[in-house]
Amino acid sequence: MIAWYEANVVLIQSMFISLLLALSIQVPFRAGVFSLAGIGSYGIGAYTAAIVTLQLGWPPFAAIGAGMLLAAVIAYLLALVLARLSGLYLGMATIAYSLILSVAVINGGELTGGAQGLFGAVSDLQTGHVVAVAVAAVVLLALSERGRPGRWIDAVREDPELAVSVGVPVTAIRQLSFVVGGLLGACAGAMNTLLRTTVTPEEVGFHLVVLALTMIIVGGSRSWAGALIGAVVFTWLPTVLAFVGEWQTLVYGVVVAVAAIFVPTGILGLAQDFVRRLRRPALPGGRP
Amino acid sequence: MLEIEDLRVSYGSVEAVRGVSARASEGRVTLVLGANGAGKSTTLRAVAGLVPVRSGEVRLGGAPIVGRAPHRIVRDGLVLVPEGRRVFAPLTVEENLVLGGYTAPRAQAQQTMEHVYAMFPVLRERRRGAAGLLSGGEQQMLAFGRALMSSPRVMLLDEPSMGLAPAMVESVLGAVREMADSGIALLVVEQNAELGLEIADDVVVLARGEAVFHGSAAEARSHASVVRAFLGDAALTG
Repeated sequence: MIAWYEANVVLIQSMFISLLLALSIQVPFRAGVFSLAGIGSYGIGAYTAAIVTLQLGWPPFAAIGAGMLLAAVIAYLLALVLARLSGLYLGMATIAYSLILSVAVINGGELTGGAQGLFGAVSDLQTGHVVAVAVAAVVLLALSERGRPGRWIDAVREDPELAVSVGVPVTAIRQLSFVVGGLLGACAGAMNTLLRTTVTPEEVGFHLVVLALTMIIVGGSRSWAGALIGAVVFTWLPTVLAFVGEWQTLVYGVVVAVAAIFVPTGILGLAQDFVRRLRRPALPGGRP
Repeated sequence: MLEIEDLRVSYGSVEAVRGVSARASEGRVTLVLGANGAGKSTTLRAVAGLVPVRSGEVRLGGAPIVGRAPHRIVRDGLVLVPEGRRVFAPLTVEENLVLGGYTAPRAQAQQTMEHVYAMFPVLRERRRGAAGLLSGGEQQMLAFGRALMSSPRVMLLDEPSMGLAPAMVESVLGAVREMADSGIALLVVEQNAELGLEIADDVVVLARGEAVFHGSAAEARSHASVVRAFLGDAALTG
């Protein structure tokens, strides 16, 4: 077990980082906000943590906190500016945020290290810290799926206008989903930087959008559990699929397309349906 | 309870509501009649805070509510039931009701739910089922029940009978009367003028964004222009 852990520690770390990244877009999706701003926030967190560690010598949790704070402020401003957009337009605008960020860090001069990125952001952040943070985030999000906040968020997703008429503070919930997505994304980015001690512009690029969407589409976007399933699958799948070699990208593409078309609720949705069927056998005659 | 004074609402440069005044009083049903595009729905939506008001006053129990956030207006005691019997389809019937009751104190919401179930027994039977699986009439009752959960002083109903089977229309309008009799002030937009007049106490007629008639239901019945526009010529001679 210990030998297995030591051999796979990098994958284990990246699984929890991926989980936080996936949650950063699952949270707004759950509120019906098609925002990918969590990806740009990942870049903000990654670079902020590197900069304050290198230049100011801040301890790891202060560096992570600084990244999260900055990302949350930007996410809140984005929420104010983008409030009128919806659906795909919002998705495009928030992808643009992440693309602009990659360009900005390449042209950031000494502060961001240009195309080479930043090196030597050494800290004593450990795998256990990452796991603890991820577990804490999951517990808080799981709580937010119950009771009043859970139903409020469901209502905002299903029918925002009706939700307003029922007395749900829809605008506040949407803004909060932006900010929480920003916090989670920045936390993932900052911890990744501090674990690897480096950050480069490619690492915060467009591929993260693909990775995060892939995890959510295959895992399921309705609950934190979907993000967890997605993070587990897409951390370990590459090790299983090593034999397909250069076809791996194609296999991924097919998996995502099949999931999006045939299982829109993801693996999580399939599992929930299965459990429901076990509990309640089909009635004779059935219902239309 | 609710006073609307010289309300004006514009969409861009188009004035949809041009100086509407109306009121709704405790225990009374005020029927809002008017052709398509007369500004009925816009008036209700503006009062509920869903579309911005250009000018005019809306007072709820004497306090002005124009410009307040819509979810605060619900807390103040005014709730809109939008047209098209909208419910949160994937949520259960009971979850829909619980959602409606978050603006009221918990103990009161519990009590109101019993009251709603007593008023609409079918909702109790189906309380664990998805709201989307209810029939059209049942969904409208759920929409009423959800609105009642906030313990409103004023309810705005937008076309509650639209698209329902004739038998269902009567029981839905019967429920509207029952809600008014429990002391709530109701402002009801209704296409079916004939049935609407049977349960109404007061009538407002809108045309091209303006109020062109105010009066009691009895006056409306005998007012030639109301009759011609909404009840058909047969009612004049018969």
